[in-house]
Amino acid sequence: MTQPILTVRGLCKRFPVGGDRFVNAVNRVDLSIAPGETLGMVGESGSGKSTLGRIILRLCEPTQGSIRFDGQDITRLPKGRVRPLRRDMQMVFQDPWSALNPRMRIRDLIGEPLKLHMRLSRSERDDRIEALARRVSLSSACLNRTPSNLSGGQLQRVCIARAIATDPKLIVLDEPTSSLDLSVRAGIVELLNEICRQSRAALLFISHDLGTVRMISDRIAVLYLGEVVEQGRAEALFGSPAHPYTQALLSAHLPTDPTVKVSRHVLEGEVPSPIALPPGCKFHTRCPVAIDRCRSIVPEVHRVSTGQDARCLRIPDGGNIYHRKQTA
Amino acid sequence: MTLLAVKDLHTHFVSRDTDNRVRVAKALNGVSFSLDAGRILGIVGETGAGKSLTAQSVVGLLRPPARIVAGSVAFEGRELTTMSAAELNGMRGGEIAMVVQNPRTSLDPLTRVGDQLVRLHRVHTGGPRAVSQRRALEMMEAVGIPDPVSRARSWPHELSGGMAQRILLAMALMNGPKLLIADEPTTGLDVTVQAQILDLLRDLTAQFNMATMMITHDLGVVAHFCDDIAVMFAGSIVESGPVRAVFTGPEHPYTRNLISATPERFRMGEKRISGGQPPDLYNLPPGCALQSRCAHTTDMCVATVPNIEVAPGHLALCHFAGQLAENEPVKDQTERRRA
Repeated sequence: MTQPILTVRGLCKRFPVGGDRFVNAVNRVDLSIAPGETLGMVGESGSGKSTLGRIILRLCEPTQGSIRFDGQDITRLPKGRVRPLRRDMQMVFQDPWSALNPRMRIRDLIGEPLKLHMRLSRSERDDRIEALARRVSLSSACLNRTPSNLSGGQLQRVCIARAIATDPKLIVLDEPTSSLDLSVRAGIVELLNEICRQSRAALLFISHDLGTVRMISDRIAVLYLGEVVEQGRAEALFGSPAHPYTQALLSAHLPTDPTVKVSRHVLEGEVPSPIALPPGCKFHTRCPVAIDRCRSIVPEVHRVSTGQDARCLRIPDGGNIYHRKQTA
Repeated sequence: MTLLAVKDLHTHFVSRDTDNRVRVAKALNGVSFSLDAGRILGIVGETGAGKSLTAQSVVGLLRPPARIVAGSVAFEGRELTTMSAAELNGMRGGEIAMVVQNPRTSLDPLTRVGDQLVRLHRVHTGGPRAVSQRRALEMMEAVGIPDPVSRARSWPHELSGGMAQRILLAMALMNGPKLLIADEPTTGLDVTVQAQILDLLRDLTAQFNMATMMITHDLGVVAHFCDDIAVMFAGSIVESGPVRAVFTGPEHPYTRNLISATPERFRMGEKRISGGQPPDLYNLPPGCALQSRCAHTTDMCVATVPNIEVAPGHLALCHFAGQLAENEPVKDQTERRRA
């Protein structure tokens, strides 16, 4: 097996909110991504997906835990030494309108990472910019415009071109498609998939759109209240979700085919506040199969099948599968 | 019986540019649909297709420079477009209710939520406060708010997104509306909470025999929660009909493209019509608005487009509706255009 490009162990992030209280955004997360692999990360808003993505790129400091990137521990690396590393780890943000400097031309925006990280002559750089634009299917006419003249889909292509400009080893994509219309979204997903195949870059694809995540990911991690409750290969996780939360999340997803029977079980209540986390298993307040032990014991990771792990106390006794009523 | 009948509705934004020339953005171009009691109509389309504008035109919430230039909106036979502001105020919040996308910004932050419900009821009925208060608690219970008595005393900022959306639903139901317009009711909510609200919306529509108009851009929501669908593009309904018929046999090229772009239908690596820019509403081409993006475009498409009824109740605004090959792969279409 190849060495993972990124390994995260026991990562925690707490934000102080005045007094002695903290928002527990990320709680003891273990993750790893192999080169060329796409890891999809799903979860509801406030589950810590974006925070986790930012910590991994050291855009914000972890409270606890370690991050190993490309064989190097970068958890406590000083700012000045992280900066050259950004050549190998890039990010694409959710909102392309605010991610790009409105006063720069597209040509300069794409050229910026090349200027910062690579020593190229002006003509070499220009060639590369043209090539990058072609790779993300932007017409060369776009290059001399400013972001205000481009549509959302085109802007997101510019952001992707910037991210792949330096041939990074890891790209974190934070909801890259959720601000785009459906027909535009399909084109971006196709582009990402192509880039992933060509460049052998590992992708961390953060999204709450299960359909898109399923399509693009090799492996999927499900986050609930800052904790990875289940992770596994995409087929396995979608085929037989082990954690009750994953089951609920998948059943709430509505396929766009009215003839498909949806067997849903709707979760009661809402996500607890990350300031006052429930004791024991964090999901027990909404879990349909919770037992008394779930309220006090923090569940450890259990292996469900090869390459599929879940944090649920009821996996050993088989009570983790919730049998739901069939509804239309 | 038809509760709401919208016929050939045209809404334009009329403004003047810096040279003082009149500019007209044709935002709605002949929207027609009807809605019966007890049914849910899903209106889908891209950003800027005119979904919300249709709702605002129906309930008379347009602000200048937008105005209705032609068409009629009949609610139980009464014409809404020519109604006076006072009459319309009596209808809105009474017989016609609306739920908007962002629940928190549509609640008064300085009034307890229970009082907001009571206020809305008393404006329309003028009855004693105690009656309205009882009604408010009933409605809060109907939308599944636990412990309504104490919840009625909470402030809007104390509520979660899902709970605030329930309060807004309860508010919409206060005066027993016949028509409920839900403009992206679940867009800001998480999927597990979305499921709760949609279930509720469907049950309430059946329970109170309302007609519901649901605006959304999520085709999955339409597929599973609506009876009928209307697909909008550039201010026109390009295809409409029963949900099952439209999803299994879409006739308009735009609908086909939209459905094929959803994650379940989408095939990786297959060449497709790319999204493209929405047409310029200031300068719409004659005939079909989709002609620059459509693979089937011929010379015919600049002529006035007929609304063809391909099956009972299933309409498509395209010259070729009913003639396109059955579930033709989009791949072939793109290749044909290149040839």
